[in-house]
Amino acid sequence: MASASSDEWRAVCDKFTNAQNLTVVESRNDPENDPFRSKYKARELLREIYCTLKSFEAGEGEEESGAESSEQRPTEPPVDGQREDGYGQGFSGDSPAGLRAAKLGAVEYYLGVNHVDTEELSAGQEHLMNCMKLLERCSVSSENVSLFIHVRNQLGILSAGWDETETAQGFLETAESIYQRYLKEDGSPPTDMTEYFTTEENMLTHQERTKRFELAYTHTMYYLAQVYKNLGETERAATYCHSTLQRQLQLNQFSPMEWALNAATLSQYYITKGLYMEGRHCLSAATVISDLAGEVPSEAAAQESETESERREQLRQKRAEIARCWIKYCLNVLQDSKKLLEDSIGELDTDRQEELKMARRREEEEEEKGRKSALLFGSEDTFDSIASLEEKVHCLLPLDFTEARAVFLVGQNYVTQAKEYFQMDGYVTDHIEILQDHSALFRALAFYEEDLERRCKMHKRRVDMLEPICSDLNAQYYLMIRRQMMFELAEIYNEMMDLKLTLANRQSDTESLDNHTINKFNHLCSASAKYFQMFLDSLCSPEGKIPEHLEEEVLRPALVARFRVARLYSRLISPSPSAQLENLDKSLEHYKYVVQYCEAHPEAAAAVETELELSTEMVGLLPLKMNRLKAKMVVNN
Amino acid sequence: VMSKNKSSESVKVVVRCRPLNRKEESNGPAGSIVQMDLRLGQVILRNPRAPVSEPQKTFTFDAVYDANSKQGDLYDESVRPLIDSVLAGFNGTIFAYGQTGTGKTYTMQGAWMDPQKRGVIPNAFDHIFTHISRSQSDKQYLVRASYLEIYLEEVLDLLDPNHGNARPLELRESPESGVYVRDLTSCVCKSIKEIEEVMNVGNQARAVAATDMNEHSSRSHALFLITVECSQPGPDGRKHIRVGRLNLVDLAGSERQAKTGVQGERLKEAAKINLSLSALGNVISALADGRSGHVPYRDSKLTRLLQDSLGGNAKTVMVATLGPAPQHYDETLTTLRYANRAKNIQNQPRVNEDPKDALLREFQMEIARLRAQLHHRKWRTKQKKEQVDGEGWERDGDEETEGEEEDEEDEEEGVEKEAEEYVKQEQRLEREKQDIREDQFMLADEKQRLLGEKERMMGVLRKEQEATEQLTAKYKAMESKLLVGGKNIIDHTNEQQKMLEGKRHEIAEQTRSEREIQQQMLVRDEETVELRETFTSLQQEVEAKTKKLKKLYAKLQCIKAEIQDVNDEHVRSRQELEQTQNELTRELKFKYLIIENFIPPEEKNKIMNRLTFDPEEDQWKFQPLVPAERSVWVLDVGMLFPSEPSDMYFKTLQILWTLQEKRENIIIVK
Repeated sequence: MASASSDEWRAVCDKFTNAQNLTVVESRNDPENDPFRSKYKARELLREIYCTLKSFEAGEGEEESGAESSEQRPTEPPVDGQREDGYGQGFSGDSPAGLRAAKLGAVEYYLGVNHVDTEELSAGQEHLMNCMKLLERCSVSSENVSLFIHVRNQLGILSAGWDETETAQGFLETAESIYQRYLKEDGSPPTDMTEYFTTEENMLTHQERTKRFELAYTHTMYYLAQVYKNLGETERAATYCHSTLQRQLQLNQFSPMEWALNAATLSQYYITKGLYMEGRHCLSAATVISDLAGEVPSEAAAQESETESERREQLRQKRAEIARCWIKYCLNVLQDSKKLLEDSIGELDTDRQEELKMARRREEEEEEKGRKSALLFGSEDTFDSIASLEEKVHCLLPLDFTEARAVFLVGQNYVTQAKEYFQMDGYVTDHIEILQDHSALFRALAFYEEDLERRCKMHKRRVDMLEPICSDLNAQYYLMIRRQMMFELAEIYNEMMDLKLTLANRQSDTESLDNHTINKFNHLCSASAKYFQMFLDSLCSPEGKIPEHLEEEVLRPALVARFRVARLYSRLISPSPSAQLENLDKSLEHYKYVVQYCEAHPEAAAAVETELELSTEMVGLLPLKMNRLKAKMVVNN
Repeated sequence: VMSKNKSSESVKVVVRCRPLNRKEESNGPAGSIVQMDLRLGQVILRNPRAPVSEPQKTFTFDAVYDANSKQGDLYDESVRPLIDSVLAGFNGTIFAYGQTGTGKTYTMQGAWMDPQKRGVIPNAFDHIFTHISRSQSDKQYLVRASYLEIYLEEVLDLLDPNHGNARPLELRESPESGVYVRDLTSCVCKSIKEIEEVMNVGNQARAVAATDMNEHSSRSHALFLITVECSQPGPDGRKHIRVGRLNLVDLAGSERQAKTGVQGERLKEAAKINLSLSALGNVISALADGRSGHVPYRDSKLTRLLQDSLGGNAKTVMVATLGPAPQHYDETLTTLRYANRAKNIQNQPRVNEDPKDALLREFQMEIARLRAQLHHRKWRTKQKKEQVDGEGWERDGDEETEGEEEDEEDEEEGVEKEAEEYVKQEQRLEREKQDIREDQFMLADEKQRLLGEKERMMGVLRKEQEATEQLTAKYKAMESKLLVGGKNIIDHTNEQQKMLEGKRHEIAEQTRSEREIQQQMLVRDEETVELRETFTSLQQEVEAKTKKLKKLYAKLQCIKAEIQDVNDEHVRSRQELEQTQNELTRELKFKYLIIENFIPPEEKNKIMNRLTFDPEEDQWKFQPLVPAERSVWVLDVGMLFPSEPSDMYFKTLQILWTLQEKRENIIIVK
């Protein structure tokens, strides 16, 4: 500002510094009954600056009628997304006119943000649009690119708040393209807006300029992530979250624990989409970065100081959370591959297995390619540790027991880690969720195990971890969890029973089973029936009455449990015909319940089609069987 | 909608609107944007910015209270039944919800000193303690209160003496008792005064904490928790404990509500963008929201603490407060929508009977232990006394049984008697000492020894007395914490007041049921209108369809006639053909007869062998006797029958061909 005396200019700079200070620092201490006091003061200062700038302009009396034209305010607001903004038009950003426009635009920008902060959104928008209009006449250069991006970020936020998501998307995407084009065509550290109003001696370093500029763009990405999320484009949203995280890491603007937890959470998005390579990468990065937060303070240290105790709590909790994300990774990998490999009766399909093994080589190559194209986390010093952590577990679906076991062991290791923090006493729900995952890991692994004896032992492990807890829980507060566990236990016992029977039949070709096997079989059978019955009892009213109407979320489980109990009773082996008759009678009763319930509630039939069909059949057949048995008893007597 | 299940009931939602204040009145003639139909329980909201033609929004609630409503009305009608349930051992929750400045605090607290303006909380306190004092004397009560605040996802104990520097509390889960706040202060309250004091202490702590923070009150939730444990002998002779919990929740201003997600499922917020990168986790976890993954970001603390109240084991009342001024339209609409959604939350309240964590049981056991100790002590003292006295062995047995028979109520007397005994014993020992000293016949050292012994005995006695006193004090302190019913039962005025309250309760009940019936009627009305509407449109439809039907019927008749004609024609031609066929068959038979009788078999075979069918000319032809060069044999009748051509035979063949042709025609027609 050649014409303005340096004193005058210094006054403007002081005012600006003051306004910034009021906005950022002072405003935090405003009293409750006057929450925007400092911001209003800052607004006054900004207005004064605006007037001064205008007067300089008039004093210069230069070429344009620019002053008036901006007073007139064209009725049509510029809208982004319709054309490439800011390139190849108007006067260049570093010309005196361009600089003037940028400064005035910056004041409009700050006024806009000030109004938004004080909940005067429309006024805020007007100022921001004024800023856009001023910039419209300039081309993008290192002097104004930062403002170009900032003002669009703000307008994006504002539009999104008004549910104009597409408009917001327009502003933010333009900001993105301006950033990218600037980096390609210029790339020098751009002037920060605060520098417009600082004296020569207070200019920022190049490093600081880059930092601020990049941070503004990180925010653009972050806002875009939210816009895409709100538009329902989850895939794009995830990509932008990923980029935001990556930039935080690159620019060293993150707190390790928070970052790690976010990366771990993002992995959960990837694994639910079956993108295991990306999921694994996020998790490995999460583990490595969380280690940057340092060692967990010892218990002794925690007892001595409160900050240490808090730190200990935080670190332990967050690392346990990351471990839980890892567990889910392993579990999903195993379950997905199981789904791929199982035949119609849930056994390993060896033909399919061969086929997939043949296809494996190609996949490995693709993985390599994918890795190269993927957006990778890491700075120079973390890159290798992330990669080496990734190598510890496969991201391809395991195809045989050895591979499955490797994944299982990694998962089990994280189970131990997670349980260390999420103990039963204090974290009941979390602890049980981890146990359920552990059980599910075993279940998935058992699928690959060919030795039935060992498979049975795996199921026994599941029983051992779930059974004691199920009985310890308060039935009222943990109703849902207990129901889940009862059902699972019933199914495990059922599975074990089937395995024992297959084993026994394999060992002795003769039809009859020895007493020991029969006892074992009966034990497992009644245990399974017991847990199904417990589950059914949990549905009853406090007075023990069976509900007439089953709520939708328990409808299928309840009817299936009935059906299964019926089947279990009919399978119990008993030497005495009268006991057998009794069991068959119970079985019939449960089958009848299923049929009668579906008759009374026709809408239930769809939920249990197969079970209903079989039950109806059994209701017809069982009485015949019982009659034959009775007849035999009469003859024997 | 009727509830599906008898044991479940939905959250009761009542709405209250405050009057326009002076400033708002002076703002213009626009007036209130909220209209209320008290009889139907409806709120009608007018959009001040929309054209008049736009339909107004109507919401129906369990009850609505307009600007003229009294505190007492709201309490009697909507809160009293809930507090009664709490006293019967249910969990109960009252939420106050609304934009800051809509009278939330007035509704919940009101003006404590003015009985007419007292809010829900003081009325509830009064209700609880009045109920206890009027209940039967075999009931024992223990009332505890806690007060906490949730600010920025941190749980703060408002009753902690050094609240200012206290660390936030942690939520924990125990296998036996579910979610709890670790180390939360809990105060036993014996009277209205005490519980009010507790509330005041907490309110002060809250105010102090708030001075250095903006918008504190509109961001923090305050929870006042009251636990009422009641023990009563059951029919089985054992004491049963019922625990009712009352949560009085002052939710943060509704303008912040969307972010805290109290309603169980997160409110779907408008497309607002989080500015701070610190919220990146929320964005990511929203993406990762899936069943098969683990999402480390937990439900809000408030949701976890009150999970029983929203879709769990509790009876819940939500009081939503509205501002009637036009400038509050958006917030008012948000509040109404939120309240409307809350109506759908179903709870399954159950009486909490004999829970493991009941403090009352612990107290009772402690008291019983102390009492046993006291008894033991008394018995020992008695024995000692008897040793000293060296007499009264027979009396001992009596006393023992007497002691056993002693009623709980007599315990205090017993303790006092005991103290007297001590004094007596001491006096006697003193007397004996005196005696010994005065006994001049005794040897000096013997005297000294006896005196020392007496001295020691007195010391022991004193120590024991102190211990007993301590024990008694402890016992009394413990017991005083328990409230016993029946203290005011004889009070006649109370009796009358009780009746009055009963009547008031009845009236409130009736108002409520009336409103319910009104609401149902409205629904029925709508249904009827709907039916009628469909009826008129059906009429029109029938007419249109009939017309179409007639047209189609005529067309159908035409086509039918056509078909009939064709059929007739076919029948006729078939009959003709049959006739021809019959004739032909007859003639054929005749010819065969001739052949058989007149043509020798070898001749016949010869002829047959020479016959071939020429598809091109569609004729039977004779192969020449001498193979010709041509591949196709030409039928030459003259060659076949060189001597005398049989007319008859020729004809037969001809007819056979025509017949074949006709047959083919028939097939084609078919």
